[in-house]
Amino acid sequence: MSALRGGQPVLAVAAVELRRFLRDRSNIFFVFIFPLMLVLVLGLQFGGGSDGGRVTLGTDDGVEGSQLVTQLEAELAEQDVTVEHASTDQALERAARGRTGVAVLLDADDASSYEAGRAVEVSMVAASQSGSLAVQERVRAAVSTLQVRQGQLQALVERGLDPTVAREALAQAEAEVATPTLQVATDDELGEQFAGLGRFDLGASGQLLLFTFLATLAGSSTLIDARRLGVITRTVAAPVTAGQVLLGQVLGRFAIGMFQGGYIVLATALIFDVDWGSPWLTLLVLAVFALVAAGAAMLMGSLIDHEGTAVGVGVGAGLVLAAMGGSMMPLELFPETMRSIANLTPHAWGYQAFAEIQRHDGGLLDVLPQLGVLAAMAVLLLAVGSWALRRSLSRAM
Amino acid sequence: MAETASAPARAPEGATEPVLRVEGLVRRYGDLTAVGDVSFTIAPGETYGLLGPNGAGKTTTISMVAGLLPADAGTVTLAGEPMGPRHPAARRHLGLVPQELAIYPDLTARENLRYFGRLQRLRGDQLRRRVDEVLELIGLADRANDATKEFSGGMKRRLNIGIGLLHQPLLLVLDEPTVGVDPQSRHAILESVAALSGEGMSVLYTTHYMEEAERLCDRVGIIDGGTLQAEGTRDELVRLTGGVDHVRVSGEGDLTTTAAALRELPAVQQVDADRQGLSLTVRDAPTAIAAIVTTATGAGMTLRDVEVSRPDLESVFLHLTGRALRD
Repeated sequence: MSALRGGQPVLAVAAVELRRFLRDRSNIFFVFIFPLMLVLVLGLQFGGGSDGGRVTLGTDDGVEGSQLVTQLEAELAEQDVTVEHASTDQALERAARGRTGVAVLLDADDASSYEAGRAVEVSMVAASQSGSLAVQERVRAAVSTLQVRQGQLQALVERGLDPTVAREALAQAEAEVATPTLQVATDDELGEQFAGLGRFDLGASGQLLLFTFLATLAGSSTLIDARRLGVITRTVAAPVTAGQVLLGQVLGRFAIGMFQGGYIVLATALIFDVDWGSPWLTLLVLAVFALVAAGAAMLMGSLIDHEGTAVGVGVGAGLVLAAMGGSMMPLELFPETMRSIANLTPHAWGYQAFAEIQRHDGGLLDVLPQLGVLAAMAVLLLAVGSWALRRSLSRAM
Repeated sequence: MAETASAPARAPEGATEPVLRVEGLVRRYGDLTAVGDVSFTIAPGETYGLLGPNGAGKTTTISMVAGLLPADAGTVTLAGEPMGPRHPAARRHLGLVPQELAIYPDLTARENLRYFGRLQRLRGDQLRRRVDEVLELIGLADRANDATKEFSGGMKRRLNIGIGLLHQPLLLVLDEPTVGVDPQSRHAILESVAALSGEGMSVLYTTHYMEEAERLCDRVGIIDGGTLQAEGTRDELVRLTGGVDHVRVSGEGDLTTTAAALRELPAVQQVDADRQGLSLTVRDAPTAIAAIVTTATGAGMTLRDVEVSRPDLESVFLHLTGRALRD
C-alpha cells in the first residue's frame, strides 16, 4: 500500500479542478471584474465612509456667499464633513439617491435672518443610508455652535460693542481661551454598529461572501462534467483510494473558493483601501467559509446530473443565501424574525465574523463562536457531499 | 499512429505465470446476473479478446477486472496481486482505456496526460519524458498544447488510448475502443494495439466486432448473457463448429450428375443442388478446391462462379448461442 501514500494524487485532482475553473473564459468577468464593480457601486451608493460624511448645502441664488452658509461650511469642515453646494432641488435629489448623507436647505430669508440676529429654522433632509445618522449629528452640532456664537455676538452688541469689534473679540477669545471639552455619547446603536467602517468596507465583506460561495457552487458543474465524461471513473481506476479522490475534489472546490475570496480581499484592499483588519484572521474566516461552500458544491455536483441545472441552482441558491445572510443589505437593518432566519445561512455567520474583525478589531476569541458554527456547517456538508459523491461514483460503474 | 517511442512494460523474461487471472467472477444487479462465473487468464504478451454483443457483460467484467466494481463472487489477480475496489495498489499494473472519451475537453492533450500521469505517481523528468513519448506515439506531438475539444473524434480516441499507456502497464484494458470511429482512425487504433502486443504488453480487448477479435487476439473468449460460452484461439473456436468450410459452385449443366461426382471426393462431406448451382460442405476447402473445380467441369458443368466460405467467429457465436453476433 506504500504506493498509495502521499498527497500527489490529491493535489493533482485539486489542481486540475482549479485549472479548469480559471480556464473558463466567462469567469474572467464574473470572478475578476463583477465583484469589484459591485463593491464600487455599493460603496458609492450606500457607503458611509470613515470621514465625517457628506453634506450638500442646498441654497437659493445669492445665498451661497452669505454669512450663514460660509460659517456653517467652516464649522462642518472642522468636523471633517465634506460640503458640496447645489440648488435646493439638486440637494434633495442627492439625498433621495443616497449620494449625500444629509441635504441642508437654506433660503434667502434664512441668510438675512441670521445676519440680523433673528431665529433661523434650518431644514435638513437625511438620506436612508446607515451613515447618514452620524452626519445628521454633525450638522446639528455645527448648527448649535453657530447658534452659541451668534448668541455671544448678540450679547456683546447689545452691551454696546460695535459688531465688528465684538466679532474680533470673540475670535481672539476662541483662539486664546481653552474651552472645556464635551464628549457626546450617542445612544444610536445602529450608528455604533457601523462605526469605523470605510466607504467600501461593508460592501467588500458582503461581496466576498457572496462571490466566494457563488464561485464554489458554480464549480460544481466541473464535477458533473467530469462524472459525465467518465473522467472521474478513470481517475478512480488509477492506483488511488476513493478517499484520495474525494479529498482532491474537496480541495479543488476549496481552492476555487479561496482563490475567489483571496482575490477580493487583495483587490479591494489595494484598489478601494478596504480595511480587512487582521489579515490572518480574515483568511481564517474565509478558509472556513470556503470549506462550507466546498461541501455544498460537492453535494450539488453529486446530486445533479446536468451542468446547466447545476449552474442555475447554484446561482439561485447563492443569491438567495447571500440576500438572507446580509451580503446585500446589512444584517443590522433586518427585522428581528429575518435576523433569526439569517442565522441558518453560513453568510450570516461570515458577516458577523468580518464585522467583529473589521469594525471592532476583534481577535480570534471574538470570532470563535462564528468560526465554530461555520466549521460545524462545513463538517456536515462535506460529510453529506462525500457520501453523495461516493454513491454517484458507484452508480456510474 | 507513429512507431512506439519506448517499449511497454513486460513481464519478466521467461515468466509463465499469467499476468491476469480471473476466477469465478459473478456480479448481480437484483435478480439479474450481469456476469456469472466468468474465468479466464491472460499470459504475458498475450492479447485476449472478449467478444460478445452489446449487453453481454463485457463492460461489467472489465469494471471488475479494473477494480472499479466489487464482485459478488470470484477473484481477480493482476501480476500476482489481488485486484478490487479495496486493493487499489495493484491498479498500477493496469492501463484502462474506457469506451467513452474520458478526457477533459477544456485541457490540452499535454495537460490531460500530465494529470493522469500524476495519478500514476509519475513526476518530474520521468513524467515529462513519458508525456512526450506518448504524444509522439499517438501522433499528437504537434497538437500537444491545443485544447482537446478542438480535436477530431479520431484524435480524441488516440489520446484516450495514450492515457492508458502513460505508466507502461503490464496489462492494457481496452473497452470497445473503435466504437464510433471513422475507418482510418479505426485502422490506426488496431495497428497500434497490434504493435503494443508485439512489444510484449498484455492486452484485454473487448469488442462486438468479430473482425477485430480475429485480427488482433491470440485468444478469444466468447461471452453472452454474462457467461463465457467458449474460449480459445481462433482455430480452436472454429473447430467447435465442426471445422468445415462451405463452397458454393454456380453455373449451368447437369447439376445432378455433377453433384454425384463431387460426392465421390474424399474432402466433400455433403452436396446440395438448387436451380443456380451446388452448395458443398468441405473439409479444408483451400486444399480441396482444385479437385472440386476439375470434377465439376469434368462432369460437364460450365462454371460461372466459385465462392469459398470458411467458418469465422461469427459462425462460432451462431453455433454456440443460436443468434448472430449483431442480433
